Amino acid sequence: MFKSKIIISTIVFLFFLIITSIIKNQTRIIEKKIYKLNELTNLKEKDINESQLDFHFLTSPAEIEKKIKMLGQNNYLPIKNSKIFLSLSNYTNIQKNISVINNLYEEKAKKN
Amino acid sequence: MKKKQKKIKDINQSSFYFEDYLETNKKNKSLKKTDSLQDRIYLLFFFFLSLILIFSIKIAHLSLSTSPTFNQKLSSSKFALIRRDIVDRNGILISRNINTSHAAVFPKLVKNKKNFLIKLRLNFPELSINEIEKKLNSNKYFYLKKRIDQSEKERFWALGEKGIKFEFFQARMYTHGNLFNHDVVGQVDYDNYGISGVEKYFDKELKDKKILRKPLKLTLDTNIQYIISEELNKAITTFRATGGGALLMDVNTGDILSLVSLPNFNINKRLVIKDKQYTNKITKGVYELGSIFKTFTIALALENDLVTPETIIKNIPRSLRCSIHKISDMKEHPKNLSVEEILVRSSNVGSVILAKKIGEEKFKEFIKNTRLLKNPELEIEEVGTPHKIKWNKCKLETVSFGHGITTTPVQAASVYSTMVNGGKLIKPSLIEGRERLEAKNLISPNTSKKINGILRKVVSSENGTAYFADKNGYYVGGKTGTAEGYGNKKNRVNTFISVFPTNKPKYTLLVMLENPQINKDLIYDYRGVKTKAPYNTSGWNSVYAAGQIIEKIGPILAINNKEFTNQYVAEKFNN
Repeated sequence: MFKSKIIISTIVFLFFLIITSIIKNQTRIIEKKIYKLNELTNLKEKDINESQLDFHFLTSPAEIEKKIKMLGQNNYLPIKNSKIFLSLSNYTNIQKNISVINNLYEEKAKKN
Repeated sequence: MKKKQKKIKDINQSSFYFEDYLETNKKNKSLKKTDSLQDRIYLLFFFFLSLILIFSIKIAHLSLSTSPTFNQKLSSSKFALIRRDIVDRNGILISRNINTSHAAVFPKLVKNKKNFLIKLRLNFPELSINEIEKKLNSNKYFYLKKRIDQSEKERFWALGEKGIKFEFFQARMYTHGNLFNHDVVGQVDYDNYGISGVEKYFDKELKDKKILRKPLKLTLDTNIQYIISEELNKAITTFRATGGGALLMDVNTGDILSLVSLPNFNINKRLVIKDKQYTNKITKGVYELGSIFKTFTIALALENDLVTPETIIKNIPRSLRCSIHKISDMKEHPKNLSVEEILVRSSNVGSVILAKKIGEEKFKEFIKNTRLLKNPELEIEEVGTPHKIKWNKCKLETVSFGHGITTTPVQAASVYSTMVNGGKLIKPSLIEGRERLEAKNLISPNTSKKINGILRKVVSSENGTAYFADKNGYYVGGKTGTAEGYGNKKNRVNTFISVFPTNKPKYTLLVMLENPQINKDLIYDYRGVKTKAPYNTSGWNSVYAAGQIIEKIGPILAINNKEFTNQYVAEKFNN
């Protein structure tokens, strides 16, 4: 009876000893992992912060205009729809129509 | 009690037995031993159980808690935000805190001070070596240079001096440099306290730890601000003005989309500026804005049903006398003018006649309701105080055409917004989501509609003073104002307040130039005729600048410009 008590107690003791050390180690590992992850998060956060700042600076209107002036020579100007011709025949047809209308107006003016 | 019971038991005992004393003693001893062993085991058991409990609690705490662990405090990469971002209406970043450092010195750690000073002189010629030498000799910790950038940090590092220490601190970075004024967005000091503009006004809110991740949203629009700033800069150069200002406001909400005051400086640098030219002309500048006020006179006359826009005022004299003052018009106008023509041609005498019809009491009440003479209510502390006026003899007459009365451009622009938005009084604002509409109406919607029509004619009609703002499809309306500086007749302020599109007003644009000159090299296309500027009036400079601005910001503001899109497409050509 007595022996079995001691054996049980020793087993329990050893069991708890092992479990405690395992738990303690696990806690340490978890804590380290958390620390590493936090470090990573902080770095990412810092990177994002700086990238956003860079992005907003590089896409600011003043910087974009500088780049356009440096890289591109294309300029855009407004043009009237009436001055756009799809082909040469399209142009000549429209010109013909305009001259016919002009002639009609001139004739009318002469009659009056 | 127990003893007594034992005694009674002994007396009544009828039998007895012998026991082996030695054996019993052994038994007792071994029993005692096992008891103490068991106690120890229990103690250990309890100890380990408590340890398990403690660690279990810790695991639970680590997995549940969101607060940083102790290790994080030591982390060098930690970026603990202490001030909120400021963004524009489209979410474009205006200001943000970044990690940077100050370069400081521990004089006691500097072994060879002479050598250190030579190194500094060679690598950092901009630093005052004499001052550094004095500080070094005093043996007290001091800053070599505050707010250093990465390249400077590396240069300091390269000196290989033990005594140099880099002290981390958070600096406020303004991504657009000088685009926003120092007293609009503002600045912060080295301790991250707001010292001007929105940064100062919302200092507490910007440091509120509960909402640190939520940026403060302004009503300003970076892209529009840039275009207006560029065009205004061009106008200042073209007309050799000493300064200028521009303001774009939503007439229905009071949102300020752009607020430009030139000259300005890069707000990333902290400078001591004593030149008054750098004050915010739009909110702090107090000006006599001239003919701008004629719109208010006409609106008041219409509101009181004294006249209609078509009412003809007959026999308008060329000049009037009021006490010792002579009131006359710059140009000769026909003798009979309709009410709308008085505004279109900007007749001083016509305005005086209308003001007399209105009467001083009603005029005074109207000016009081507009709050033109009070400090502007805006979310910055840098606001001007208009001069108080005494309604003595001739005041009504001069005020009717905008002389002898001062106000800030932001107030004038907000009253113009009220004039065209149906008469609703609005408060201008720099912060999104604030209540700005007031229950009170300044004028009726009907009068507002009439005023819209007249303002359009100032731009579109042949006799109007603002031809250069008549941009295809934007139905621009507005009023020009040319005035001498209040109390300083050498100064000149040319202003144009425009409203567009007048068929359904959305925006008010104020453009102001200080001391502009006639540009003899600039050839204007005035109603199909190539000409040079005949006068130094706002019609020939501020209106011109406003026209250029409207042409560029119109498409961004998404004004449905059918006139333009039906007739034009973009042509690409290479130089």
